[in-house]
Amino acid sequence: MGNLLFLFLLFGLNKLYFISTQLVPIEEAEWFRKNVLSEFEKRNKIKVIFLGANYGEFQDRINAEYKAKKGKISLAGGLSSDFESIGEAFIDLKNFLSNLKKKKINFLPFALKYNKYKGKTIYIPWLQGTYIFVANKKALEYLPPGVNIDSLTYNDLLLWVKGIWEKTGERKFGLPAGPRGLIHRFLHGYLYPSFTEAQIIKFDSEDAIEMWNYVKNLWKYTNPGSARWEKMDTPLLSEEVWIAWDHISRIKSAIIERPDDFVIFSSPMGKKGRGIIVVLSGLAVPETAPSKDYAFSLIEFLVKPEIQREILKGTGFLPVVENISFEGLEKGIKKIAEGVKKQNSGKNLIVSFIPGGLGNKQGEFTKIYRDVFKEIVIKNKNPMDILPFYKKKIIKLFKEKGASLPPPDNEIK
Amino acid sequence: MKLNEKYFPYVLLLPLLLYILLFFFNPFFNALKLAFFDENNKFTLIYFRELLRDPRFFSAIKYTLMFAVTIVPLQLITAFLIALFINRNFKGSKTLLFICSIPLAISDLAAGLIFLSIFTEHGFLNSFFYFLGLIKKPVYFLSYENIPLLFTSILIAEHWRATAIVLIILIAGLQMIEKDYIDAANVFGANFFKRIFYIIIPLLKPSIQSALIIRTLFAFQMFAVVIALAGDMIPVLSGETYFWYYIYRNSHIASCYAVVIIILSLLLTAIYLKFLTYKEPVYENI
Amino acid sequence: MKIFKKFAQIITFTIISLWVLLPVFLITVSTFSSKQEVYKWPKNLLPKDFSLESIKFFFSSYGTISSFKNSLIVAFITLILVLFISIPSAYAFSRYYFKGRESLKIFILMTRMLPIPLLAVPLTSFYITLSLYDNLLGVALIHTAMALPFSIIILSGIFIRISKEYEEAAIVFGASKLKAFLKILLPLSLPGIAAMLIFTFITSWNEVFAASILTVENRTLSAHILNLLDASPLYFKYAGGFFLSVPAIIFIFFIRNYLMKMWGGF
Repeated sequence: MGNLLFLFLLFGLNKLYFISTQLVPIEEAEWFRKNVLSEFEKRNKIKVIFLGANYGEFQDRINAEYKAKKGKISLAGGLSSDFESIGEAFIDLKNFLSNLKKKKINFLPFALKYNKYKGKTIYIPWLQGTYIFVANKKALEYLPPGVNIDSLTYNDLLLWVKGIWEKTGERKFGLPAGPRGLIHRFLHGYLYPSFTEAQIIKFDSEDAIEMWNYVKNLWKYTNPGSARWEKMDTPLLSEEVWIAWDHISRIKSAIIERPDDFVIFSSPMGKKGRGIIVVLSGLAVPETAPSKDYAFSLIEFLVKPEIQREILKGTGFLPVVENISFEGLEKGIKKIAEGVKKQNSGKNLIVSFIPGGLGNKQGEFTKIYRDVFKEIVIKNKNPMDILPFYKKKIIKLFKEKGASLPPPDNEIK
Repeated sequence: MKLNEKYFPYVLLLPLLLYILLFFFNPFFNALKLAFFDENNKFTLIYFRELLRDPRFFSAIKYTLMFAVTIVPLQLITAFLIALFINRNFKGSKTLLFICSIPLAISDLAAGLIFLSIFTEHGFLNSFFYFLGLIKKPVYFLSYENIPLLFTSILIAEHWRATAIVLIILIAGLQMIEKDYIDAANVFGANFFKRIFYIIIPLLKPSIQSALIIRTLFAFQMFAVVIALAGDMIPVLSGETYFWYYIYRNSHIASCYAVVIIILSLLLTAIYLKFLTYKEPVYENI
Repeated sequence: MKIFKKFAQIITFTIISLWVLLPVFLITVSTFSSKQEVYKWPKNLLPKDFSLESIKFFFSSYGTISSFKNSLIVAFITLILVLFISIPSAYAFSRYYFKGRESLKIFILMTRMLPIPLLAVPLTSFYITLSLYDNLLGVALIHTAMALPFSIIILSGIFIRISKEYEEAAIVFGASKLKAFLKILLPLSLPGIAAMLIFTFITSWNEVFAASILTVENRTLSAHILNLLDASPLYFKYAGGFFLSVPAIIFIFFIRNYLMKMWGGF
């Protein structure tokens, strides 16, 4: 009877529509609904409709509602770059954020660096992600002699995958270079900083040419399926590859499913350092949100330390608030959390951010890296003939949008 | 002829026209407008200039046309032969018709998935070859290193997926051919090929025309299977539309691609309508 | 000779069926295999390790059942709308030679030449202003617009082949135009109508773009699956693809009889 009453109340209650580009995969979404949102629903007597969306759909819907000046969505969760291109559609959360701080929610300092759009605070940090290298244990016996897997150089990586090819006749290294894969992040956030210490400003330098020649070499021993793959968990599980790089959420199901078969290793070093990207997602409230107050309480709920830990436990997304313990996590998740921690505390780190402020040109920024990759690596052209043309394009993008350069470029004199 | 007879066809078409104008025309027009107007609603051709500078644009045209000219005739011929076979009305012909129309029910996303599981490195085809002892190491069917093989794999998948609609249209058409014609031809001793070329094909023209138009327009829109099997290694026009729209987020360029698709589709449809029109005596008495 | 013919018939039947059914068989196998089996190399052509895991998860996941219902409703509304709009239009195209006939045909087909992904945003904005946002009727209206051009093409291709004399004869004997149409033309063109219905149902059932952008909570099955599976592991993808197909296959099974209602063979 109590349950029935509760159900009855639920139906009579308001609904809060929460659209998100994060926690979209079926298992994550189910888990999030059952373990996190249901708790909030009980406490606040409101029904939360959680809708997964890819980022195109996400932007289209928010944009459409904004243009129609009428909407259903009250809360939006996405990557910081998802928000920037439609920044005008969200309300300013400046006061709300300072209230959270007063309530002793301590965000990691970096998490509050990039949430502005034309002076507005458009999102509250929510989840943290990054990219990792994963290797099947079968690949370990082919490591070049005397090399420690956590202090590889990019050259060691090349020797490793080349060795595998020579001994097995198969190309066991894979990258997500398919149309919706994230290879551009590997290029601008991992290789470029490692070889040239910058993501953008050294685009056509000598170091960059050296880097592209390296990629050409690496590609020889890279599985050709890479040109099609969008996420690396599947080829790792099917063992079409043994070594892969991808975003945590696109690679983690391999580790969770078979935690004993895979190892996570720190990003290799280039001659300038160890480039890595840190990715941030956040929560924003659309201008047209019908129930803003509930959206605020849901945000507040989601950034509570105990909920942040719960999300890490269930999905592998790292917290954005300080001092969360890793004890008692499931094997695979713990492995990921520790792997990331190891990577983040490695030597000679060069931390990159996905550039903000490019707004709706964000997609064209990534296209430049992908196009260069296709021209130089797949069509095997000379980097010197290709890079200057695209450098002009990329500089023009930043100028057009008046966007400032992201780290590490902004710190280079 | 009575006056109302003259306007009667327009009356019949009224619901259709009203429907399109009310529910479709506005969004349709707004989507195309993006190709010619910038954010401030000013007419511009810069998007087309940008389109022409995109190296993928020309290969997209090339591959789209290559798909259209290979896949459409191939499907038409297979569907025609299967339709003739089914139309023999033997025991089990209805079952065969059902079997052959199953791919119709499978969405292009699912079809892409199926053929990916067949052609991928550790997929069914390689497993089968391995089982037969033909190979020791898997073959890379879907590799940018061998574009013709990749193209053929897509062709096979598309042929499997979309022949059914042609078949259904042709079967429905064949059912309409009156037996008298064929009996008469038999009496005069027409052989199999004569029957096909002088009787069946001419009478089937309206259905062939429908099938051709539908299939060609679909061929210009195909991209789910291409993306599933080839990623973006084989660019096609509607795939580029999708990428520009959903991945690079420039709806203006996406709209330019759409304009190109529409122009090509219009050209071919006009050609089909002109050269395949069914001229039956019916029209003489109007 | 007769035996030889029979034999050839069986061979042809087998080859065609194998070619069509093999891929369907493979997705079915993958749907009912365990997670490990899906990633195995070399794969077993017959599954050794049966599992209902993917299916259970798929069916118990949020929104699957209601989206299935939504898809049926949308497809049904679409079928009705298409039927009522396309029959008179196809009749006009096939029975009359009026001014602007060809241009009108091209105009109608043109609505189908625009890639649907591009329509998403203008469509959604427009439907919000019509208060048809997140509304099954809205989705059905778009599906109708998408199915109409080709339905009309299929139908008029059939109508045009039925000699006008039959109807004229009926009219001479005092039947009204409508009656002649209903009693003569319609029954004769049943195969064409069946083909058109199959086409329309499939168009609506498998349509993804408009459905996923136009609906928030009231998703259709295809939109639901696209959304859930976009980022999900392979074994759920197979289950999703498989269950999206089954209802459409059942629909074809029932309509197919009308395709061959008439006598056949020559």
